[in-house]
Amino acid sequence: MVAWDVVYYKAADERVPAIDFLDGCPTKVAANLLAVLDAVAEAPPPQYSGGGKWEAMHGTMGGYYEVRASGPGREQFRLFCVLENADQAELRRRGLPGPAIAVLTGMRKPWRTAFTEREYRAARALGDDHRANFPRRIAE
Amino acid sequence: MRCTYATVQRVTYATLSEELRMPKRLDTSFHKRMIAGRMADPEFRAEYERTRREIDQVDSVIRQLDELREAAGLSKAELARHIGRDPSSIRRLFTAESNPELLLVASIAEDLGAEVRVVPRSSRRRRRSSAVARRTSTA
Repeated sequence: MVAWDVVYYKAADERVPAIDFLDGCPTKVAANLLAVLDAVAEAPPPQYSGGGKWEAMHGTMGGYYEVRASGPGREQFRLFCVLENADQAELRRRGLPGPAIAVLTGMRKPWRTAFTEREYRAARALGDDHRANFPRRIAE
Repeated sequence: MRCTYATVQRVTYATLSEELRMPKRLDTSFHKRMIAGRMADPEFRAEYERTRREIDQVDSVIRQLDELREAAGLSKAELARHIGRDPSSIRRLFTAESNPELLLVASIAEDLGAEVRVVPRSSRRRRRSSAVARRTSTA
């Protein structure tokens, strides 16, 4: 199976939220998150991949995927992604040469706490904006 | 079909308008360039490579179990029934929708006539032996 691309959503103001997030993570956490992304991109769905650190989300975040990592003091770090997988014509319409993992943003939280629905809504708003763009607006 | 000037013109316009309708092809190399840049940091590189080895091990176990399941001609639902689990837990396991639970992995391996093992790396054994030797010699 051919490896997928990993692309990063870029907002209208040119900011790339996922990269801003990764830049703010401890080095080891960023390395963890990026290693998971590469593992999944190299053996993309529906294959098993990501060593349990890549998970499909549920409930209001259905259709999104998260990359999980822990940091110092058991702080939890998450990257939120969507899959860009469609037929060639649709991928061309999105400006993509092939299927891809689109990384939207990241969030962190203390151990044993949950993100609020408001935080998830903010992540989904980026997903909605990403999917509304033809071609996709990504970091290049 | 006769290839007249009008036909060529129609085909050319059709191709052109198709090109114009299609969004530009994006450059998707940003991620690879970013990883290459971060790899210059030894701390990043060491952790990235360690995590990849860890992930590859887990992925390899789950994929091998799935291959054994297929070789045994068992559907995911049948396998679930064999080990008394909900079919959705097996489906989730093989499609990376959940964190693999070791007990589930071991149950599947058992049902498929396999087993999960931890095999020490020889280089690590050597490192550990030499560390023990160093401690012994300084004691």
